[in-house]
Formats: sequence, structure tokens, C-alpha cells
Amino acid sequence: MYPLRARVARWTLVHRKAALAVFGLLTLFFAAGLPRVQLKTIFSDLLPQDDPFVQVYKDHPGFGSPLTIMTMIRRKNGDIFNDETLGKVWDYTRAIDRAPAVDHEQILSVTTEKARYAEATPEGIDMRPLMGDHPPATPDEIAGFRAHIDEAPNVRQFLISRDNRSALVLATFIERKLDYGQVFDFVEQLADRTADAQHEIYVAGMPILIGTVYRYEHQMVAISAVTVGVIVLALVFYMRSVVGVLTPILTSATAAIWAFGFVGWLGISIEPLLMVVPLLLTARSFSHSVQFTERYFEVYPEVADRRRAAELTMSVMMVPSVLGIMTDILGIVVVVAAPIPAMVRHAIFCGMWAVWLIPTGCVLISLLLASLPPPRNLHRFKDRKVSAGRPGILVRLLGGIAALVTGKRARVTTALALAGSAAAVYVASQIQIGNPVEGTNLLRYDSEFNTAVRAINGSFPGVNTLEIVLEAKDQDAPIATSQHQDTVFTELALQRALEAGDHPPRASLSFADYLMEANRLFSGGDPRWAPLDPRERSVQAAAVGAMMGSSAKSFSHILDPGMQNSTVSLWYKDNKQETVDGALQAARAAVDQVGADHPDFRVRLGTGTIALQEAVNRVIARYQWVVIGGVNLFIFLLCAGAYRSFTAGAMLLVPVNLANEGLLAAMHMLGVGLDVNSLIVAAIGVGVGIDYGIYLLSRICEELQQRHGTADARWSAALGGALRTTGRAILFTATIMIMAILPWYLMSGLKFVADMGLLLIAIMAINMVLSLIVLPLLVWWIRPAFAEKHNSETTTLINNSIKEEFVC
Amino acid sequence: MKTIRYDRGYSRRKFLGDAARGVLSCGVLMPLAKAIAATGDVSKAYPEELLSIEAYTKGRIKTGDIIDASNVEVVKDLLEPVRFEQIRTMGRKLKVVKTTTDVMRLSPWEYIEATLSNSGKAGFDARGNVVNKADGKPWIGGNPFPDPKSGLELFAAQTMSWGRHDASFYAVNMYTTEVASGDVKFSYSGGWAEMSPIGRVSMDPKPYWPGHEDKLRYQSIFFLTPQNYRGTSFLNVWDYDASTFPALYGYVPEFRRIRQFPAEQRFEPLLPGLTLFLSDAWGAGDPLYTWGNYKIVGRGPFLAGLSESWNAAHPNWEHTTHGGPKGQTFWDATVELVPETIIVEAEPVKFPRAPVSKKRVWFDARNQAMVGMVTFDRNGQPYRSFDGAYSLYDNGSQKFMDGQHPYWSWAHVTASDIQTGSVSRLEQVRQVENTHFSGANNPQIYDKYLTQLALMRLGLK
Repeated sequence: MYPLRARVARWTLVHRKAALAVFGLLTLFFAAGLPRVQLKTIFSDLLPQDDPFVQVYKDHPGFGSPLTIMTMIRRKNGDIFNDETLGKVWDYTRAIDRAPAVDHEQILSVTTEKARYAEATPEGIDMRPLMGDHPPATPDEIAGFRAHIDEAPNVRQFLISRDNRSALVLATFIERKLDYGQVFDFVEQLADRTADAQHEIYVAGMPILIGTVYRYEHQMVAISAVTVGVIVLALVFYMRSVVGVLTPILTSATAAIWAFGFVGWLGISIEPLLMVVPLLLTARSFSHSVQFTERYFEVYPEVADRRRAAELTMSVMMVPSVLGIMTDILGIVVVVAAPIPAMVRHAIFCGMWAVWLIPTGCVLISLLLASLPPPRNLHRFKDRKVSAGRPGILVRLLGGIAALVTGKRARVTTALALAGSAAAVYVASQIQIGNPVEGTNLLRYDSEFNTAVRAINGSFPGVNTLEIVLEAKDQDAPIATSQHQDTVFTELALQRALEAGDHPPRASLSFADYLMEANRLFSGGDPRWAPLDPRERSVQAAAVGAMMGSSAKSFSHILDPGMQNSTVSLWYKDNKQETVDGALQAARAAVDQVGADHPDFRVRLGTGTIALQEAVNRVIARYQWVVIGGVNLFIFLLCAGAYRSFTAGAMLLVPVNLANEGLLAAMHMLGVGLDVNSLIVAAIGVGVGIDYGIYLLSRICEELQQRHGTADARWSAALGGALRTTGRAILFTATIMIMAILPWYLMSGLKFVADMGLLLIAIMAINMVLSLIVLPLLVWWIRPAFAEKHNSETTTLINNSIKEEFVC
Repeated sequence: MKTIRYDRGYSRRKFLGDAARGVLSCGVLMPLAKAIAATGDVSKAYPEELLSIEAYTKGRIKTGDIIDASNVEVVKDLLEPVRFEQIRTMGRKLKVVKTTTDVMRLSPWEYIEATLSNSGKAGFDARGNVVNKADGKPWIGGNPFPDPKSGLELFAAQTMSWGRHDASFYAVNMYTTEVASGDVKFSYSGGWAEMSPIGRVSMDPKPYWPGHEDKLRYQSIFFLTPQNYRGTSFLNVWDYDASTFPALYGYVPEFRRIRQFPAEQRFEPLLPGLTLFLSDAWGAGDPLYTWGNYKIVGRGPFLAGLSESWNAAHPNWEHTTHGGPKGQTFWDATVELVPETIIVEAEPVKFPRAPVSKKRVWFDARNQAMVGMVTFDRNGQPYRSFDGAYSLYDNGSQKFMDGQHPYWSWAHVTASDIQTGSVSRLEQVRQVENTHFSGANNPQIYDKYLTQLALMRLGLK
């Protein structure tokens, strides 16, 4: 009785035309979904949705100025109080008003009418713009302007740097019309035009960050092309036959069309920042196809019939292929445990891509091989197989490894492996969570964006904010909750508590500050009139005074559009972990002090870059081990089922987990912390890395079943044989994978992508080495019983089939 | 076969031909001014296709029909870009009513009489101010340029008299709807007062108020609700000199202090949440020469609200709404086919920081009233619009009188920012609280609403 896989293989190959037609139709169906595919980075979807900070952010996305571009115009020598620099600030402010999708009511600099000073006149309080109808040009005008600046404290703090060398221009954009790429191009050109020998321009803000990432995403298309080109070249070099090259390309391309078409039909956007993973899958598909094709080329000369050779190849390769792909799927899919929408979409896209590798990599490839003419140079493959027994460099190396993991040397190797493992686990346990970068971890340290963020942070309160939100209980309160006495005085209390605490912010701002300013101005301008009278009527009057003659949008950084919810913004000098910890500790204490629950509103901590960074750190801490544990459990069950042995499952997991520990230890020693990248890499590292172990273990079983003699001799010969043959396959697979990922590390301008590429290369390499050393050691010492039984019927099947063909 | 002599193409060719020759002669079949002088009716000046929506659209839209997203393409040429986009994408609707041909229903009676009697007497002095040519003094009343020959004349008349009464008080409700949710997020009520000390045709003394001849207008706005805005007010005092910025004062009762705002601050709303700049008011919210390069850029028919906009069915004249996620974004409004509008563009020459590059205003050729305005941002993209509805407060069975004649005024206004999607609605109501009543030519208006003392008094109530 033939096993099921043999019957499936036979049936498929007998109905070859029908099967090819089905594949053709399915490919057409998925291809029709391709125009719907969207490559899109949704930044908020990179955040863990169940985190309280992220929920505050989701409820109040406008706080923290996510749609604002800030431009710092810095005079290289001297201060800004000269006609040339002030003229540049004026011109830049006017020019950015022409940016696409800019909200014309939300442009702010010292040149706009919103930047005002107040004078007491006989007719009342006269509010005037700091700058007249033109930038000050004469010494008198400049001196007058400078004098007015000192009468406008908020301008002094937020629009002109402490050293008087920089001025800030803020422009906010309309979200529904915002094309980040367009805005980025516009502002980049404007900044280039404005910069000269005397002036530096620094541009930051979320729209610029997103625009930068989008620009690099175009670069990713080029890197993908390079990657595919490199793999195809390697394939041509390795296979040197049309069928050998064409088959992996066709199967991999089909899987790719299915994968993209599937998400196109689902309407799910693809996260370009994680595109390295699909490319890894492409490499995986190529490598698998190559091994499949090679096996076919080995079988074909024996049976001299394409259909029969394909059937036999499919039959024998099905189990290890499906098992290997299933582990990949699990490694990719298990990251959905982390409540990060981008990861969930990524898992669906890449997980299904991996699923499509099963029909394309097992069935379609067999159909293609059975249909395409066989190569003429089959002797190469035969010679290559024969040469596996010759002592080439690679074989000598693998033979050397075999010597280290068997016999007496195995004790020394084991001791060293144990010591190394203990050290790796210990060092890995010291790793810090979080990878703070001033600016964004998506880009390199010396990128224009991060440079701009550092420059702006150096001169102004900056971009590292923590927002404490005062959320109205009644979103339709007739008198806006933000203007209630309790709300305003709670804001003041929070600011006082935090500014007097152990970790004071470098600046703070709330609606209460504007009210105090209105109080001061309406009372004649003397700062002694700034404090608010704690009566409901007085507070509301100050609110009216502050807002009359102004758009509500002028306050959108501290009030929501309906003016019910408000925020206390706190600026911190950096986003290093100790700063984040200190800020949050102080904020929690301040919230406790003022009370989180008030009759009309609740105080919610918090949003802003500080809180969101903490949220990401927390999700990594929470899910790092859930993800690793999950992938271990699933793969253990899968492998245990496939080998019908728990021992097999446990043995296979040891090297991959050690590889993970090794990676973490290396990261810690390099001063790199755990982040979202490492979470993904760890899961994929286990899922993809375990393939090596499966290849090797299956081959050890095959080799063992063909050996005779004493136990030591059999196991030693089996390990040696497996290492010399499948060891080569592992080296080939690892090489293909590393070649696929290397361009991402070398070429990507996005640090996030480059880092992920580097981590993947590292874990693939570590996995490969440990699979070749640790797994054979385990086999040598444990000598598992399943090795005597596993796949024996397949081996028998092939041998019998080949014999039958010869007889015929 | 019947030959239609004055088909749609004829009118279009006439408008284009006149424009090409630089001629501004209102009327298609005969000069409009002659038709009005002869009969007080515009029918003889225009062919049927400019007096009937059925004829214009060849029956695809009829009087009584609703213009909505399904049929707005048919009348795209009759709408400015903002209303067209709102109908197409935001659920705005307009009901079509019959075209008004009787000019006496298109402005206050006294204003029309003064316009006719003072026709030809107006000119510009050396500073460009509109004066009575006979003595060089300020204008004496009515529309100074009823047969306009330039964009400047149209704007001069519009800036001269906004509400076309010597004095007006409008009890007003104002709403702003949140774009995404469709909820009304800002709701104010209060009053708007304006009074002309020159060119008076109803109120004594006429035509000038002695001692105030150097002023063009006193205008104030105050708020009663929500409670925290109660008594908050603004006062604009306009110099007669058309190049001088008005003084703008603000008052918050609690502070008991008048605050003076930057005179050129015309591109900010008075209160947060309103999509209405001072500059937008009546399409001519700024002094005449703070804008410039006035030029006529087109003529043609248009859809605008000029009749049947008074909601006498509601005791306080309040209007109903539709559109947006909650049906609260736009007024239920009527429009009629205006046979001829004159489209004028102007640029904000004295506003170096203006966020707009130009405005385009549609004037009804029958009465030179502003019937639509769109401003464009500095990239030339449509930015804001101001479209209102006028009405004679006489629906056949009910009347609201202004002296001897039915009251004529605006009924509601829609101010939009098409870029952000924000929409503010203003409506004239009969009264706010039991104290402030809409009406015209009340001699007490100055003392009650238009002085700094008045502002302070309003804050006490």
C-alpha cells in the first residue's frame, strides 16, 4: 500500500493538464486582485492597540501636533535680528502657505498676525502683530520688533530660540487632503531654496517623517529588484539549465502573485517597512525549488520518465517541504499575538504567502518539471552528487564538524557548547527593552530628519512631549469643559506639580497658560494680573478673552476641535529610557495628586512621543516571550507529530532557541535594545531557522536506516553522511537567504529596514551554525528511537520505484 | 420646425461677445436698466431660457425640483465651485423656485426708489471715494451705480451699503457643524447691528447724520449664548475713506475693558468655531481699496437664493437643515435662476499676509446684490465661500413689515471652508431672547448697539 502522499502525487501527475489549468485559473483570479494592492505605512498601526497610552492617543489623535511641520531657520553667525534673516522667516512663512493641503489658518511664526504683543492705550488694550506689513528692514524697525518680542512671552519661548539664533515656523496640514510625498517634496525644495551660506534650515514633524519614509519606500522597490536579480543570478550560476532556472522562478512568481492578489482582494494594505520578510520568503521559495529540482534531476536519469520522476520527487519531498513551510508559517503568524495591527496585516500577507508555497512549491513545481523538457547536462547533478563523497573544502569542513560532534571529541564540543549557551543565556537576559533614538528609530542617526529633530530639540522645547489629557465626560457640554474652572485649575495644578518635581519638563503648556495671558493683557499687560481668579465666571471670561478674534484651530495643539477635551503638554529634553521613566513616574504622581476623576472630566495619562515610546516598549516586554513561547509550542507539536516523537520536537527547538539567545546576547553587547524588529526577527528566526534542523534530522534518519554495524558506528556514519550531504543543502539555503537579505542591509536608507535585515542575516547565520553543531550533538547523545523509523517507507518507496522502472 | 431665435447659445454668445468687446451692458434682449425703468420688471430684458430653469435645462430640472448629487451636473455652469462640490459630495441640496422678475421684490422699497431717483449722480473723488458729483460730498442714498460699468463700481456699491437699510438689527443664530461627525459643535446666538450715517433714505436726518459724515458705517455684533460668551461683543467703526481700515474693538464683560484688535486682522473668525472671517461679510467685508485689481471676469446666469427664503412657518423664522452625517450641515434653501450675474474678481492688495490670492463675487445684474462669493488660496485653489439667501418677508399670506412695505433682508447664510470641509450656518431670526428683535431703521439702534458704552451695557444684561 503506497502512503497517502504517493497516491496524491500519482493522481496529480496523472491529471497534469487539469491540474495546470486549475493553477492557471487561480493565478488569473489572484492576478485580478493585484491592481487593488496598496503599499501603505499606517504609523498608528505600528502601536499596540490595547495599551492604555495608545488608547488615549487613539481617542485624542490631535494632541501632540501630529499634522504639524516645524521648520527651524537658524542663523549660522549672529542672531536672527537682522533684515536678511527676518526676511527669510517672512518669505518662508508666506511660501509654506502655498504647500499642498496646508491649513491656511494654522501657520505660525513671528511674522504672522497670530504672534502679537499688547499695549495699553487710552481706548483699551491694543493687540498688534509683532511684525508689521513687511519684515523689519531698518535698524529702528528691527529694534522695535525686538522690543515687542519681549512683551510676548509665549513667542519668546516657542517661536524664537533662547540664544536668539533660530526662529521656528509651524504649519499644520489638513489630514484628509494630505499627500505626504507631495508635501515632503514641496517643503524640501522650499528648505533648499531658503538655506544659504548664512542660514541652516531644519525641518521636522510627523508629515516630514512620513514623507521621508514614503520616499525610501520607493527605494525599496529598487532593492527588491536587486534582491530578485541576485537570487536569479545565483540560480543561473548554480543550475545552468533552462528548466533549473525557469522552474524556481515560475513557482516563486506564482506564489508571489497569489500572495499579493490575495491581500488585494481582501483590501488589506501591505506594510512596506516589513517588505524584507516577503523577500525572505521569496528566497525561501527559490531555495526550496532548487532542492526540489535537484532531487528531480537526480531521480530522472534513474527512471527516464518526466512524469514518473516528478511523481516520485513530489512524493519524497512533500513531507519535509510541507513541514518546513508550516514552521515558516507559524514563525510568521505567531506575531499576531502582539496587538499591533500592522503586524496582524503583515502576518496575514506573509503567512498566506508562505501557505501558497505549499501548492506552488510541491504541486506546481512537479507539474512544471513533468511538462518542461529535461536538461541535457544532467550528468552535472549526478557528478555533483557523487562528488559529495570527495574531500572538497566544503566537504572537509563538514566532515570536520562531523568529527567534532561524534566520538570522544563530542564530550569537549558538548562542554564548550554548554558553556557558550549558558553565557549566551546570561548575557541575553541583561538586554534592555527599547531602542531610543532622538527623533525616530525608522531612520538613521545622521538622517536629515533626526539631525533636524536634534537641532530643534537643542534650541526649542522640542518634539519629545508627554500629553496628559483632560477628557470631558459630556462631549456636548453647553459650556465647553475645557473652559470650566475645575479643568483649568487642574491643568495648572498638574503643571505646578510636574515643574516642581524630581523630573521637571523643560517646558509645559496648557490652555490655562493662554487664559493667564488673556487675563494679563485684558488687565493692562502687567504680569501681576496673569494669575486667574478661581471663580467659574472669571475663568470662562479669560477663555473668551483668549479666543475671541481667533480660530479654534489656533488652539488645536491643546484643545480638541470641539473644545471639550484639553491637554497639558510637557516637553522633555530627550527620549532616553531614564527620561521616559522619570517623566512617567512624575506624571503618575501628579495625576494622583490632582485626582484622575473629576465631576466633569477625567485625567488620562497620556499620549505624545514619550507615552507612545513607553507603550511600544511595554508591548515588547509583554509579548517577547509570548511570541517565542507560542512559536516554540506550535513548532514542537508540529515536529513531534511529523516525526511521531516528542523527543524530535524538543531536539529541533534547542538550536533555534539557542540561536535566538545568541542574537540577543550579541545585540546586548553591541548596545542595541529589544524593539519591534527583534520581536519579528525572533519569531521568524525560530520558524525559518528550524528548517535546517528538519533537513538535517530527516537526512540523519535516512542515513541511519541505511547503515549497519555497531551503534556508535551507525550513528557516527549517519551524522557524518547527513552533515556532508544535507549540510551542503543547509549552507546553500542559508547562502540564498543571506544573499536575499543582504541588499536590504546594505542599500536601505531606512534604519528600521536595514536593522531588520541585519538581524535576520545574523539569526540565519547563527541558526545555520548551531544546527550543524548542536543538533548533531543532541542526536549523538540522545540517539532517539524515532530516527530508526522516520520516513523509512518513503525511502523504501523510492528505492522500490526506481527498481521497478529499471525492470520495465 | 420652429426656430428658436433666442436659444441658450444666443445668450451665451451675447455675454461672451460683450465681454470680448469690454462692454458691460446688462440685459440680453434690451438694456436691463431700460426694462426696469419702463416696467419695473426684467422679463423683457431676457429670453425665456434665462428666466426659467425648465427652459435653461431643456426640461431636465423644473421649478419645484431639488438639485442634488444626482442632477447637479446639469446645472454645474450655474453654481460656483464650492456649492457644486458640496452638492456633489456632502449631500447639500437646493430647491428651485420661480425666477423673480419684479425688481421691487429684490431690495428694500426705499432703497430702490432712491436708486432710481439718484441714478447717474454718483462718481469717485480724487481719493476714489464715492461721492455725490454735484457737491463732492458723501453719497446720498440708494445704489450709486445701478448701471455698473466696472467691477469697481459694483464693489463700491456693495461696500457702501451691506443690508440696504439705513440701519438694521439682525437677531442671529450661528452654528458650525463638525465635518466628520456631522454634530453641531459650536452654537452661538446674538445680534448684528449696522447703521449708515450717510446715504440715508429712510431714517432722519437724511441723507447725512450730522457730525458723522466722515463715517461710512457703525457695525457691531454681540453674543448671548452660550452663557460664557454672554455679552462678548465687537464694534467696527468704518471711516468713509475707502482706503482706511475700520477700527475693531472687542469687549468681554468680566474684564470691563475694551480691547482693540489689529485693524488688518480680517482673516480670522470673530469667535472660535465660526467659518466666517470679517473679510467675508457680504462679500465685501473690507474697505474698498484694501482690495484692488477689480475686474469683470464673466457674465451669465446663476442659481441663487433671492426669494421664498423667509421661514414664516416658524414663529421665530428658524430654518430647517439637511446634509452631512446628521442632517445638520446645510440649510434647506431655495434658489432661483438669476438671468444674469456679473462676476468680478479682486485681489487683497493691502493684506500682505492674506491667505487668499483673490476673491470672485457674483452680483445679480437685476439689483447688483452679491449672490455668491468664493475666495481662492494663494495657489489659486477654491478656499472659502459665502452664499446667502435674500427674501422679501412676504409669502402671500404673511408679511413682516418695514414701515410701509414688507421687510426685505437676508434670511440665511452659509460660510464654508471647502478645504477643511468646515461649514458655518447663520440665520436671521425674529428675536433672540425677548429683548432683541430683527428689523430695520430703528432710530435707537446707535445708542443701543453701536457705541463702546452700548457694548458695556449689553454685557450687563
